[in-house]
Amino acid sequence: MTASSLNFRKLQDSNRRKTFGLLAGMGALVWLVVFAAMTYLGKSTTLIVPVAVGFALISVWGSYYFSDSLVMTMTGAKIIEREDHPDLFNLIEEVCIASGLRLPKVAIVNDPAPNAFATGRNPDHAVIAFTTRILEIMDRDELQGVIAHEMSHVANRDTLVSAVAATTAGAIAILSDMMTRMMIFGGMSDRDDRDNNQNPFAIVISLLVLILAPIAALLLKSAISRKRESLADATAVAFTRNPAGLRRALEALAADTTVVRQRSNAVAHIWIESPLDGKSVSKLFSTHPPLEERIAILRNMESNPL
Amino acid sequence: MKIAMLVIPLLLILVIWVVYSYNSLIRLNISADEAFAQIEVQLKRRADLIPNLVETVKGYATHEKSTLDAVISARAKATSATGITDVAAADGQLTTALRGLLAVAESYPDLKASANFLSLQEELSTTENKVAFARQFYNDTVRSLNQAVKTFPSSLFVGMAKVSARAFYEVENPADRNVPNVKF
Repeated sequence: MTASSLNFRKLQDSNRRKTFGLLAGMGALVWLVVFAAMTYLGKSTTLIVPVAVGFALISVWGSYYFSDSLVMTMTGAKIIEREDHPDLFNLIEEVCIASGLRLPKVAIVNDPAPNAFATGRNPDHAVIAFTTRILEIMDRDELQGVIAHEMSHVANRDTLVSAVAATTAGAIAILSDMMTRMMIFGGMSDRDDRDNNQNPFAIVISLLVLILAPIAALLLKSAISRKRESLADATAVAFTRNPAGLRRALEALAADTTVVRQRSNAVAHIWIESPLDGKSVSKLFSTHPPLEERIAILRNMESNPL
Repeated sequence: MKIAMLVIPLLLILVIWVVYSYNSLIRLNISADEAFAQIEVQLKRRADLIPNLVETVKGYATHEKSTLDAVISARAKATSATGITDVAAADGQLTTALRGLLAVAESYPDLKASANFLSLQEELSTTENKVAFARQFYNDTVRSLNQAVKTFPSSLFVGMAKVSARAFYEVENPADRNVPNVKF
Protein backbone atom coordinates (compact mmCIF):
# COMPACT_ATOMS: atom_id res chain seq x y z
CA MET A 1 0.00 0.00 0.00
CA THR A 2 1.43 3.35 -0.99
CA ALA A 3 1.38 6.14 1.55
CA SER A 4 -0.73 8.34 -0.70
CA SER A 5 -3.66 5.91 -0.75
CA LEU A 6 -4.13 5.73 3.01
CA ASN A 7 -7.65 6.26 4.23
CA PHE A 8 -9.34 4.89 7.31
CA ARG A 9 -11.31 2.19 5.49
CA LYS A 10 -8.19 0.72 3.87
CA LEU A 11 -6.29 1.05 7.13
CA GLN A 12 -9.03 -0.78 9.03
CA ASP A 13 -9.06 -3.59 6.46
CA SER A 14 -5.30 -3.95 6.42
CA ASN A 15 -5.02 -3.97 10.22
CA ARG A 16 -7.82 -6.54 10.54
CA ARG A 17 -6.14 -8.76 7.96
CA LYS A 18 -2.82 -8.48 9.74
CA THR A 19 -4.36 -9.34 13.13
CA PHE A 20 -5.93 -12.39 11.54
CA GLY A 21 -2.59 -13.39 10.02
CA LEU A 22 -0.83 -12.96 13.37
CA LEU A 23 -3.45 -14.97 15.25
CA ALA A 24 -3.10 -17.70 12.61
CA GLY A 25 0.67 -17.49 13.19
CA MET A 26 0.02 -18.07 16.92
CA GLY A 27 -2.03 -21.15 16.06
CA ALA A 28 0.74 -22.45 13.82
CA LEU A 29 3.24 -21.87 16.62
CA VAL A 30 1.16 -23.93 19.07
CA TRP A 31 1.02 -26.72 16.52
CA LEU A 32 4.78 -26.50 15.98
CA VAL A 33 5.47 -26.69 19.73
CA VAL A 34 3.21 -29.72 20.14
CA PHE A 35 4.88 -31.37 17.16
CA ALA A 36 8.34 -30.62 18.55
CA ALA A 37 7.38 -31.95 21.97
CA MET A 38 6.13 -35.19 20.48
CA THR A 39 9.26 -35.57 18.38
CA TYR A 40 11.54 -34.97 21.31
CA LEU A 41 9.80 -36.74 24.16
CA GLY A 42 7.57 -39.29 22.48
CA LYS A 43 3.83 -39.74 22.28
CA SER A 44 3.18 -39.83 26.05
CA THR A 45 3.54 -36.04 26.03
CA THR A 46 0.25 -35.57 24.19
CA LEU A 47 -1.43 -35.51 27.61
CA ILE A 48 0.52 -32.40 28.57
CA VAL A 49 -1.03 -30.32 25.81
CA PRO A 50 -4.57 -30.14 27.20
CA VAL A 51 -3.12 -29.51 30.67
CA ALA A 52 -1.05 -26.56 29.45
CA VAL A 53 -3.87 -25.10 27.39
CA GLY A 54 -6.23 -25.61 30.35
CA PHE A 55 -3.91 -23.73 32.72
CA ALA A 56 -3.52 -20.89 30.23
CA LEU A 57 -7.28 -20.73 29.71
CA ILE A 58 -8.05 -20.56 33.42
CA SER A 59 -5.43 -17.91 34.16
CA VAL A 60 -6.30 -15.66 31.23
CA TRP A 61 -10.06 -16.07 30.93
CA GLY A 62 -10.71 -15.16 34.51
CA SER A 63 -8.96 -11.86 33.96
CA TYR A 64 -10.77 -11.44 30.64
CA TYR A 65 -14.20 -12.08 32.08
CA PHE A 66 -13.67 -9.78 35.06
CA SER A 67 -11.46 -7.33 33.10
CA ASP A 68 -13.65 -4.33 33.93
CA SER A 69 -13.40 -4.62 37.72
CA LEU A 70 -9.89 -6.08 37.69
CA VAL A 71 -8.30 -3.34 35.59
CA MET A 72 -10.13 -0.70 37.57
CA THR A 73 -8.60 -2.02 40.79
CA MET A 74 -5.12 -2.28 39.28
CA THR A 75 -5.20 1.27 37.94
CA GLY A 76 -7.16 2.84 40.79
CA ALA A 77 -9.87 4.11 38.42
CA LYS A 78 -13.07 5.43 39.99
CA ILE A 79 -16.43 5.34 38.21
CA ILE A 80 -18.00 8.78 37.73
CA GLU A 81 -21.52 9.89 36.82
CA ARG A 82 -22.77 12.50 34.38
CA GLU A 83 -23.05 15.19 37.08
CA ASP A 84 -19.36 14.85 37.93
CA HIS A 85 -18.19 15.79 34.46
CA PRO A 86 -21.02 16.81 32.10
CA ASP A 87 -18.70 18.10 29.36
CA LEU A 88 -16.83 14.79 29.21
CA PHE A 89 -20.12 12.91 29.02
CA ASN A 90 -21.27 15.18 26.18
CA LEU A 91 -18.19 14.16 24.21
CA ILE A 92 -18.62 10.47 24.99
CA GLU A 93 -22.28 10.60 23.93
CA GLU A 94 -21.20 12.18 20.65
CA VAL A 95 -18.78 9.33 19.94
CA CYS A 96 -21.44 6.78 20.96
CA ILE A 97 -23.85 8.22 18.42
CA ALA A 98 -21.12 8.20 15.77
CA SER A 99 -20.25 4.58 16.51
CA GLY A 100 -23.69 3.20 17.31
CA LEU A 101 -22.35 1.81 20.59
CA ARG A 102 -24.12 2.21 23.90
CA LEU A 103 -22.79 4.55 26.57
CA PRO A 104 -19.93 2.84 28.48
CA LYS A 105 -19.16 3.32 32.14
CA VAL A 106 -16.78 6.21 32.61
CA ALA A 107 -13.94 6.31 35.13
CA ILE A 108 -11.28 8.73 36.30
CA VAL A 109 -7.74 7.83 37.38
CA ASN A 110 -6.17 10.39 39.66
CA ASP A 111 -2.77 10.68 37.99
CA PRO A 112 -0.45 13.53 36.92
CA ALA A 113 0.28 11.88 33.54
CA PRO A 114 -2.12 12.33 30.61
CA ASN A 115 -3.44 8.93 29.50
CA ALA A 116 -6.62 6.92 28.92
CA PHE A 117 -7.76 3.31 28.49
CA ALA A 118 -10.70 1.07 27.66
CA THR A 119 -11.54 -2.33 29.10
CA GLY A 120 -14.43 -4.73 29.67
CA ARG A 121 -15.22 -8.08 28.10
CA ASN A 122 -17.85 -6.78 25.65
CA PRO A 123 -19.54 -3.49 24.68
CA ASP A 124 -22.15 -4.00 27.43
CA HIS A 125 -19.47 -4.15 30.12
CA ALA A 126 -17.18 -1.52 28.64
CA VAL A 127 -15.38 0.97 30.85
CA ILE A 128 -13.37 3.87 29.48
CA ALA A 129 -11.09 5.71 31.85
CA PHE A 130 -9.17 8.98 31.74
CA THR A 131 -6.45 10.35 33.97
CA THR A 132 -7.23 13.66 35.64
CA ARG A 133 -4.35 15.24 33.73
CA ILE A 134 -5.58 14.34 30.23
CA LEU A 135 -8.87 16.10 30.96
CA GLU A 136 -6.94 19.22 31.97
CA ILE A 137 -4.61 19.51 29.00
CA MET A 138 -6.80 18.52 26.07
CA ASP A 139 -9.30 20.64 24.16
CA ARG A 140 -12.64 19.44 22.85
CA ASP A 141 -11.43 17.99 19.53
CA GLU A 142 -8.38 16.30 21.03
CA LEU A 143 -10.41 14.67 23.78
CA GLN A 144 -12.99 13.56 21.23
CA GLY A 145 -10.17 11.84 19.32
CA VAL A 146 -8.97 10.07 22.46
CA ILE A 147 -12.52 8.97 23.32
CA ALA A 148 -13.01 7.71 19.75
CA HIS A 149 -9.77 5.72 20.03
CA GLU A 150 -10.95 4.11 23.28
CA MET A 151 -14.44 3.42 21.94
CA SER A 152 -12.76 1.82 18.92
CA HIS A 153 -11.11 -0.67 21.26
CA VAL A 154 -14.60 -1.43 22.58
CA ALA A 155 -16.08 -1.72 19.08
CA ASN A 156 -13.23 -3.91 17.82
CA ARG A 157 -13.45 -6.16 20.93
CA ASP A 158 -9.79 -5.72 21.70
CA THR A 159 -10.12 -7.10 25.22
CA LEU A 160 -11.17 -10.38 23.59
CA VAL A 161 -8.40 -10.25 20.99
CA SER A 162 -5.73 -9.65 23.60
CA ALA A 163 -7.21 -12.39 25.80
CA VAL A 164 -6.93 -14.86 22.91
CA ALA A 165 -3.36 -13.73 22.23
CA ALA A 166 -2.45 -13.98 25.91
CA THR A 167 -3.99 -17.46 26.20
CA THR A 168 -2.01 -18.86 23.29
CA ALA A 169 1.20 -17.16 24.39
CA GLY A 170 0.60 -18.46 27.92
CA ALA A 171 -0.08 -22.02 26.73
CA ILE A 172 3.11 -21.98 24.68
CA ALA A 173 5.13 -20.69 27.63
CA ILE A 174 3.72 -23.38 29.95
CA LEU A 175 4.24 -26.14 27.38
CA SER A 176 7.80 -25.20 26.63
CA ASP A 177 8.55 -24.79 30.34
CA MET A 178 7.16 -28.25 31.15
CA MET A 179 9.10 -29.78 28.27
CA THR A 180 12.42 -28.28 29.26
CA ARG A 181 11.91 -29.51 32.83
CA MET A 182 11.11 -32.99 31.56
CA MET A 183 14.24 -32.98 29.45
CA ILE A 184 16.36 -32.12 32.43
CA PHE A 185 14.72 -34.18 35.19
CA GLY A 186 12.47 -36.77 33.62
CA GLY A 187 14.40 -37.64 30.51
CA MET A 188 15.27 -41.19 31.59
CA SER A 189 11.76 -42.47 32.08
CA ASP A 190 10.72 -41.33 28.65
CA ARG A 191 13.64 -42.91 26.84
CA ASP A 192 11.81 -46.15 25.97
CA ASP A 193 8.92 -44.18 24.65
CA ARG A 194 10.97 -42.42 22.04
CA ASP A 195 11.33 -43.87 18.59
CA ASN A 196 14.69 -45.60 18.37
CA ASN A 197 15.28 -44.69 14.78
CA GLN A 198 14.55 -41.00 15.46
CA ASN A 199 16.56 -38.62 13.30
CA PRO A 200 19.02 -36.71 15.54
CA PHE A 201 18.65 -33.66 13.36
CA ALA A 202 14.89 -33.60 14.03
CA ILE A 203 15.58 -33.83 17.76
CA VAL A 204 17.91 -30.82 17.70
CA ILE A 205 15.36 -28.81 15.72
CA SER A 206 12.61 -29.77 18.17
CA LEU A 207 14.76 -28.68 21.08
CA LEU A 208 15.38 -25.33 19.40
CA VAL A 209 11.66 -24.88 18.76
CA LEU A 210 10.85 -25.59 22.40
CA ILE A 211 13.40 -23.06 23.62
CA LEU A 212 12.57 -20.32 21.13
CA ALA A 213 8.79 -20.73 21.04
CA PRO A 214 7.98 -18.59 24.13
CA ILE A 215 10.01 -15.70 22.72
CA ALA A 216 8.30 -16.05 19.36
CA ALA A 217 4.91 -16.13 21.10
CA LEU A 218 5.78 -12.96 23.00
CA LEU A 219 6.82 -11.25 19.75
CA LEU A 220 3.57 -12.29 18.09
CA LYS A 221 1.56 -11.07 21.08
CA SER A 222 3.25 -7.65 20.95
CA ALA A 223 2.74 -7.47 17.19
CA ILE A 224 -0.99 -8.19 17.63
CA SER A 225 -1.23 -5.48 20.27
CA ARG A 226 0.49 -2.97 17.94
CA LYS A 227 -1.88 -3.85 15.10
CA ARG A 228 -4.88 -3.35 17.39
CA GLU A 229 -3.59 0.10 18.35
CA SER A 230 -3.22 1.09 14.69
CA LEU A 231 -6.68 -0.33 14.01
CA ALA A 232 -8.13 1.70 16.89
CA ASP A 233 -6.58 4.88 15.46
CA ALA A 234 -8.13 4.14 12.05
CA THR A 235 -11.52 3.24 13.55
CA ALA A 236 -11.43 6.42 15.63
CA VAL A 237 -11.16 8.39 12.39
CA ALA A 238 -14.04 6.34 10.96
CA PHE A 239 -16.14 7.52 13.93
CA THR A 240 -15.18 11.20 14.07
CA ARG A 241 -13.97 11.77 10.49
CA ASN A 242 -11.53 14.14 12.11
CA PRO A 243 -7.96 12.78 12.06
CA ALA A 244 -6.59 16.15 13.17
CA GLY A 245 -8.19 15.86 16.63
CA LEU A 246 -6.58 12.52 17.46
CA ARG A 247 -3.32 13.58 15.80
CA ARG A 248 -3.08 16.69 18.00
CA ALA A 249 -3.96 14.57 21.03
CA LEU A 250 -1.12 12.14 20.29
CA GLU A 251 1.24 15.07 19.77
CA ALA A 252 0.23 16.38 23.18
CA LEU A 253 0.94 12.93 24.67
CA ALA A 254 4.31 12.81 22.91
CA ALA A 255 5.22 16.25 24.22
CA ASP A 256 4.44 15.21 27.80
CA THR A 257 7.14 13.13 29.44
CA THR A 258 5.33 12.17 32.65
CA VAL A 259 4.32 8.52 32.92
CA VAL A 260 1.33 7.05 34.73
CA ARG A 261 2.25 5.86 38.19
CA GLN A 262 0.86 2.35 37.79
CA ARG A 263 3.71 0.86 35.82
CA SER A 264 2.44 -2.67 35.99
CA ASN A 265 3.39 -4.81 33.03
CA ALA A 266 0.03 -6.51 33.27
CA VAL A 267 -1.99 -3.48 32.24
CA ALA A 268 0.59 -1.58 30.16
CA HIS A 269 -1.00 -2.52 26.86
CA ILE A 270 -4.38 -0.98 27.59
CA TRP A 271 -3.34 2.69 27.85
CA ILE A 272 -3.52 4.92 24.77
CA GLU A 273 0.14 5.82 25.36
CA SER A 274 2.16 2.93 26.69
CA PRO A 275 3.78 3.62 30.08
CA LEU A 276 6.53 1.06 29.35
CA ASP A 277 7.58 1.48 25.76
CA GLY A 278 9.90 4.37 26.53
CA LYS A 279 12.34 1.96 28.13
CA SER A 280 11.56 -1.02 25.96
CA VAL A 281 14.52 -2.97 24.64
CA SER A 282 13.29 -2.96 21.09
CA LYS A 283 10.35 -1.98 18.96
CA LEU A 284 9.61 -5.68 18.45
CA PHE A 285 8.55 -6.15 22.07
CA SER A 286 6.56 -2.96 22.48
CA THR A 287 2.78 -3.10 22.74
CA HIS A 288 2.20 0.17 20.84
CA PRO A 289 3.53 1.47 17.54
CA PRO A 290 5.81 4.49 18.09
CA LEU A 291 3.80 7.69 18.64
CA GLU A 292 5.64 9.42 15.77
CA GLU A 293 4.50 6.69 13.39
CA ARG A 294 0.87 6.95 14.56
CA ILE A 295 1.01 10.75 14.20
CA ALA A 296 2.44 10.45 10.67
CA ILE A 297 -0.33 8.05 9.59
CA LEU A 298 -3.03 10.39 10.96
CA ARG A 299 -1.40 13.39 9.29
CA ASN A 300 -1.50 11.44 6.04
CA MET A 301 -5.23 10.78 6.53
CA GLU A 302 -5.83 14.51 6.97
CA SER A 303 -4.66 15.10 3.41
CA ASN A 304 -6.71 12.12 2.14
CA PRO A 305 -10.30 12.68 3.24
CA LEU A 306 -12.34 9.47 2.71
CA MET B 1 -28.27 -43.97 2.26
CA LYS B 2 -25.10 -42.57 0.79
CA ILE B 3 -26.98 -39.98 -1.21
CA ALA B 4 -28.82 -38.86 1.92
CA MET B 5 -25.52 -38.35 3.72
CA LEU B 6 -24.46 -36.04 0.93
CA VAL B 7 -27.73 -34.22 0.42
CA ILE B 8 -28.69 -33.58 4.05
CA PRO B 9 -25.59 -31.56 4.93
CA LEU B 10 -25.87 -29.62 1.69
CA LEU B 11 -29.51 -28.81 2.41
CA LEU B 12 -28.57 -27.77 5.94
CA ILE B 13 -25.91 -25.41 4.63
CA LEU B 14 -28.40 -23.96 2.16
CA VAL B 15 -30.97 -23.37 4.90
CA ILE B 16 -28.40 -21.73 7.20
CA TRP B 17 -27.28 -19.50 4.34
CA VAL B 18 -30.85 -18.42 3.51
CA VAL B 19 -31.63 -17.69 7.18
CA TYR B 20 -28.40 -15.74 7.56
CA SER B 21 -28.92 -13.64 4.44
CA TYR B 22 -32.53 -12.93 5.32
CA ASN B 23 -31.68 -11.98 8.89
CA SER B 24 -28.84 -9.69 7.94
CA LEU B 25 -31.13 -7.76 5.60
CA ILE B 26 -33.74 -7.42 8.35
CA ARG B 27 -31.06 -6.39 10.82
CA LEU B 28 -29.72 -3.68 8.51
CA ASN B 29 -33.23 -2.40 7.95
CA ILE B 30 -33.86 -2.15 11.70
CA SER B 31 -30.49 -0.42 12.20
CA ALA B 32 -31.45 2.15 9.57
CA ASP B 33 -34.76 2.78 11.39
CA GLU B 34 -32.92 3.20 14.68
CA ALA B 35 -30.34 5.45 13.10
CA PHE B 36 -33.05 7.69 11.67
CA ALA B 37 -34.80 7.79 15.04
CA GLN B 38 -31.52 8.91 16.57
CA ILE B 39 -31.33 11.84 14.12
CA GLU B 40 -34.84 12.87 15.14
CA VAL B 41 -33.99 12.62 18.84
CA GLN B 42 -30.99 14.90 18.36
CA LEU B 43 -32.92 17.36 16.17
CA LYS B 44 -35.59 17.55 18.88
CA ARG B 45 -32.91 18.23 21.48
CA ARG B 46 -31.55 21.05 19.38
CA ALA B 47 -35.00 22.52 18.79
CA ASP B 48 -35.58 22.49 22.56
CA LEU B 49 -32.37 24.40 23.19
CA ILE B 50 -33.18 27.23 20.81
CA PRO B 51 -35.83 29.25 22.72
CA ASN B 52 -33.46 29.53 25.68
CA LEU B 53 -30.59 30.54 23.39
CA VAL B 54 -32.70 33.14 21.60
CA GLU B 55 -33.81 34.65 24.93
CA THR B 56 -30.23 34.86 26.17
CA VAL B 57 -28.94 36.48 23.00
CA LYS B 58 -31.89 38.91 22.88
CA GLY B 59 -30.93 40.34 26.25
CA TYR B 60 -27.52 41.43 24.99
CA ALA B 61 -27.71 41.72 21.21
CA THR B 62 -30.68 44.01 20.75
CA HIS B 63 -29.88 44.98 17.17
CA GLU B 64 -29.83 41.50 15.69
CA LYS B 65 -33.52 41.02 15.12
CA SER B 66 -33.13 39.60 11.59
CA THR B 67 -30.63 36.95 12.68
CA LEU B 68 -32.87 35.94 15.58
CA ASP B 69 -35.93 35.83 13.36
CA ALA B 70 -34.09 33.59 10.90
CA VAL B 71 -33.33 31.13 13.72
CA ILE B 72 -36.92 31.22 15.01
CA SER B 73 -38.47 30.61 11.60
CA ALA B 74 -35.95 27.88 10.74
CA ARG B 75 -36.79 26.20 14.04
CA ALA B 76 -40.50 26.36 13.29
CA LYS B 77 -39.93 24.75 9.91
CA ALA B 78 -37.67 22.07 11.40
CA THR B 79 -40.16 21.06 14.09
CA SER B 80 -43.03 20.71 11.61
CA ALA B 81 -41.10 18.89 8.86
CA THR B 82 -41.95 15.27 8.10
CA GLY B 83 -40.37 12.82 5.68
CA ILE B 84 -36.66 12.42 5.21
CA THR B 85 -36.13 15.04 2.46
CA ASP B 86 -38.08 17.78 4.28
CA VAL B 87 -36.47 16.98 7.63
CA ALA B 88 -33.02 17.09 6.05
CA ALA B 89 -33.69 20.37 4.24
CA ALA B 90 -35.08 22.07 7.37
CA ASP B 91 -32.18 20.67 9.41
CA GLY B 92 -29.71 22.24 6.97
CA GLN B 93 -31.42 25.64 7.17
CA LEU B 94 -31.48 25.60 10.96
CA THR B 95 -27.79 24.65 11.09
CA THR B 96 -26.93 27.64 8.90
CA ALA B 97 -29.15 30.02 10.89
CA LEU B 98 -27.56 28.89 14.16
CA ARG B 99 -24.09 29.39 12.74
CA GLY B 100 -25.11 32.92 11.81
CA LEU B 101 -26.37 33.56 15.34
CA LEU B 102 -23.17 32.30 16.94
CA ALA B 103 -21.12 34.44 14.54
CA VAL B 104 -23.16 37.50 15.57
CA ALA B 105 -22.60 36.67 19.25
CA GLU B 106 -18.87 37.04 18.66
CA SER B 107 -19.24 40.82 18.51
CA TYR B 108 -20.95 41.10 21.93
CA PRO B 109 -18.30 40.64 24.63
CA ASP B 110 -20.85 40.88 27.47
CA LEU B 111 -22.91 38.11 25.89
CA LYS B 112 -19.86 35.93 25.31
CA ALA B 113 -18.82 36.36 28.93
CA SER B 114 -22.22 35.50 30.43
CA ALA B 115 -22.32 32.18 32.24
CA ASN B 116 -25.68 31.32 30.74
CA PHE B 117 -24.36 31.79 27.21
CA LEU B 118 -21.21 29.77 27.90
CA SER B 119 -23.15 26.75 29.08
CA LEU B 120 -25.59 27.14 26.18
CA GLN B 121 -22.66 27.28 23.79
CA GLU B 122 -21.28 23.96 25.08
CA GLU B 123 -24.76 22.42 24.90
CA LEU B 124 -25.18 23.73 21.38
CA SER B 125 -21.81 22.50 20.11
CA THR B 126 -22.32 19.04 21.58
CA THR B 127 -25.81 18.90 20.07
CA GLU B 128 -24.54 20.06 16.68
CA ASN B 129 -21.91 17.29 16.84
CA LYS B 130 -24.52 14.74 17.87
CA VAL B 131 -26.78 15.77 14.99
CA ALA B 132 -23.83 15.50 12.59
CA PHE B 133 -22.75 12.09 13.92
CA ALA B 134 -26.32 10.79 13.85
CA ARG B 135 -26.56 11.81 10.18
CA GLN B 136 -23.21 10.19 9.46
CA PHE B 137 -24.21 6.96 11.23
CA TYR B 138 -27.53 6.88 9.40
CA ASN B 139 -25.84 7.37 6.02
CA ASP B 140 -23.26 4.68 6.80
CA THR B 141 -26.05 2.27 7.74
CA VAL B 142 -28.02 3.14 4.60
CA ARG B 143 -24.87 2.59 2.58
CA SER B 144 -24.51 -0.99 3.92
CA LEU B 145 -28.26 -1.60 3.49
CA ASN B 146 -28.30 -0.36 -0.10
CA GLN B 147 -25.21 -2.37 -0.87
CA ALA B 148 -26.88 -5.53 0.47
CA VAL B 149 -30.12 -4.78 -1.38
CA LYS B 150 -28.39 -4.22 -4.70
CA THR B 151 -25.64 -6.86 -4.71
CA PHE B 152 -25.89 -10.57 -5.39
CA PRO B 153 -26.59 -12.91 -3.57
CA SER B 154 -28.21 -10.90 -0.77
CA SER B 155 -30.39 -9.16 -3.40
CA LEU B 156 -32.24 -12.50 -3.87
CA PHE B 157 -33.93 -12.09 -0.48
CA VAL B 158 -35.02 -8.47 -0.83
CA GLY B 159 -38.58 -9.42 -1.80
CA MET B 160 -38.86 -12.02 0.95
CA ALA B 161 -37.55 -9.66 3.66
CA LYS B 162 -39.65 -6.76 2.32
CA VAL B 163 -36.77 -4.30 2.53
CA SER B 164 -35.73 -1.79 -0.09
CA ALA B 165 -32.95 0.66 -0.77
CA ARG B 166 -33.26 3.93 1.15
CA ALA B 167 -32.50 7.57 0.48
CA PHE B 168 -29.46 9.13 2.10
CA TYR B 169 -29.94 11.92 4.59
CA GLU B 170 -28.56 14.79 2.58
CA VAL B 171 -28.48 18.20 4.19
CA GLU B 172 -29.19 20.98 1.75
CA ASN B 173 -26.62 23.46 2.90
CA PRO B 174 -27.05 26.85 1.24
CA ALA B 175 -23.60 27.87 2.42
CA ASP B 176 -22.07 24.95 0.52
CA ARG B 177 -24.04 25.76 -2.60
CA ASN B 178 -22.82 29.36 -2.69
CA VAL B 179 -19.17 28.44 -2.89
CA PRO B 180 -17.64 31.26 -4.94
CA ASN B 181 -16.33 30.22 -8.28
CA VAL B 182 -12.68 30.98 -8.46
CA LYS B 183 -11.67 32.08 -11.94
CA PHE B 184 -8.19 32.77 -13.13
